[in-house]
Amino acid sequence: MKKEKAPKVKAKTSLAQKKENRAGLMFIAPYLIFFTVFTGIPFLMAIAMSFGNITYITKLDNLQFEGLKNFITVFTNKEIRDSLLRTFVYTLVYVPLIMVLGFVFAFILNKGVFCKNGIRSLIFMPYVSNMVAIAIVFKVLLGNGSPIIQGLQGLGFDPPLLLQDMVLALPTTAVIAVWKGLGLNMVVYLGALQDVPSELVEAAQIDGATKWQRIRHVIIPMISPTTFFLLISSITGSFQNFTIIQALTEGGPGQATTVMSINIVRTAFTKYQTSVASAMALVMFVIVMIVTLIQWRGQKKWVNY
Amino acid sequence: MTKKDKALKWVLTIIMILVGFCFVAPFIFMLSSSFKVSGEVMRFPWHLIPESPTVKNFIGLFTNGVYNFQKWYVNTIVMTGLTILIKIFFVSFTAYGFAKINFKGKDVIFLVLLSAMMIPSDIMILPRYIIFKNLHILDSMWALILPSCVDVYFVFLLRQSFISIPDSISEAAKIDGCSHMRIFWRIVFPLAKPSIATMALFSFTWSWNDYTGPYLYISTMDKQMLSVGIKLFSSGLTQDYGAQMAAATIVLIPIMVAFLFCQRFFIEGVASSGVKG
Repeated sequence: MKKEKAPKVKAKTSLAQKKENRAGLMFIAPYLIFFTVFTGIPFLMAIAMSFGNITYITKLDNLQFEGLKNFITVFTNKEIRDSLLRTFVYTLVYVPLIMVLGFVFAFILNKGVFCKNGIRSLIFMPYVSNMVAIAIVFKVLLGNGSPIIQGLQGLGFDPPLLLQDMVLALPTTAVIAVWKGLGLNMVVYLGALQDVPSELVEAAQIDGATKWQRIRHVIIPMISPTTFFLLISSITGSFQNFTIIQALTEGGPGQATTVMSINIVRTAFTKYQTSVASAMALVMFVIVMIVTLIQWRGQKKWVNY
Repeated sequence: MTKKDKALKWVLTIIMILVGFCFVAPFIFMLSSSFKVSGEVMRFPWHLIPESPTVKNFIGLFTNGVYNFQKWYVNTIVMTGLTILIKIFFVSFTAYGFAKINFKGKDVIFLVLLSAMMIPSDIMILPRYIIFKNLHILDSMWALILPSCVDVYFVFLLRQSFISIPDSISEAAKIDGCSHMRIFWRIVFPLAKPSIATMALFSFTWSWNDYTGPYLYISTMDKQMLSVGIKLFSSGLTQDYGAQMAAATIVLIPIMVAFLFCQRFFIEGVASSGVKG
């Protein structure tokens, strides 16, 4: 794109182009400087640090190249491997749930309900709210002696304390994360559904397609670019769950919800194994990249632009 | 509309209202409980309206002498305000550069920025700590403000909305001898106000709600932000449910008010541009 344009401009008005170059640089320079300092350099540092032997975060003297030692630790240390596994479990609960519910709710709202905008706002509300404040409320609601628990006990049930249960705590945090983030996915889907041309759906209807066939063969293919975008960002988002888990359970009970993000911070700031923590973060990054690349490759099969 | 269609519409509406209720129920519980005395919060059967409504919980937050809520509140307001102001300036300036100025190397630089969007924030935690330390902004609110001003996402979105402003307008101004600076301030910036409002609102919620940043980079209690503050407060007073609910409420209120009054910018901004936090 650039190659087609640039020579023409250059040949004609080289002085004007020089002026454009200067103006362009002036507009983006402040941003670029900050970007380099707070994103570019940290990224390169993160890679470099994961090959070193840094222990205390501020002590960078007698730094040594350690090769792949930290990465070997990441994959052989049982505690780290377990937390990686927990991240996958969390993702497996979070991603399907938020994708399916986001679509279903958007579909129903788009289909036509009364006070659509009001309902849309209700579902969107948790998205803008503060996770720590929400966590305080959920901890009380799901904790011992809360009105919900008492109510269920009154009905003869024996409800588990979801956030204090060794098995259920992790899926519970994922479900609360879905509750919080769903509004965004739904609103993005809603926008996509409104853009599906109604003639297409009507044409299918005239051709005798049933309701399910219309959804399956017309609507879902039409919104597949949105699904693709939401899928990638939901998977990436599910790996970045530090705030949600720290606020709800702090990784407990025991190690039940100690996922990678929690473990990275703990390894760096309580165990002072900075380089190991860097290696852990880098492994997560590579996993995200691989997942994204696989989807990018696979999108030809199911995404229609 | 046939009778059957209408019946279906009613059924769907009722289902979705119930779903919607599930999404706000915790907020209702919180608000109601914040006006109850602690013993009443956990009482069953539960009542929406407190038996003897009290504002003691709220007063307690600001007069307890241990937890400095006033300070945290002010810190959070200042930090969020500065972030929004600096971000509007930084991001819209940059977006204009990419949208309306035809300079050398533009496409390459933009591509680099876009690919940086893929980097998960977890990987930045440690190196940023070292950088903040060396810039002497560790343990100050600037460690939260400056990094969030280089938000690539909004550069991308604002660029889109600047591009959609017809070039004919800025070209005409250019022929009249307007500099880019003037075109930016006088023409493009005012025309893109809705997008900028969306950006400002989202930055507001992100900065206001940020927990990881202050948790990791701020250690002095008096410089702390609300998110970390209420977490400390709630784990210090595990049995005082009324006070905990009041703490959650005062953090949520500014966000909720902004949301209620500016829903249009929040939701339609998302729907039209595909904002993803």
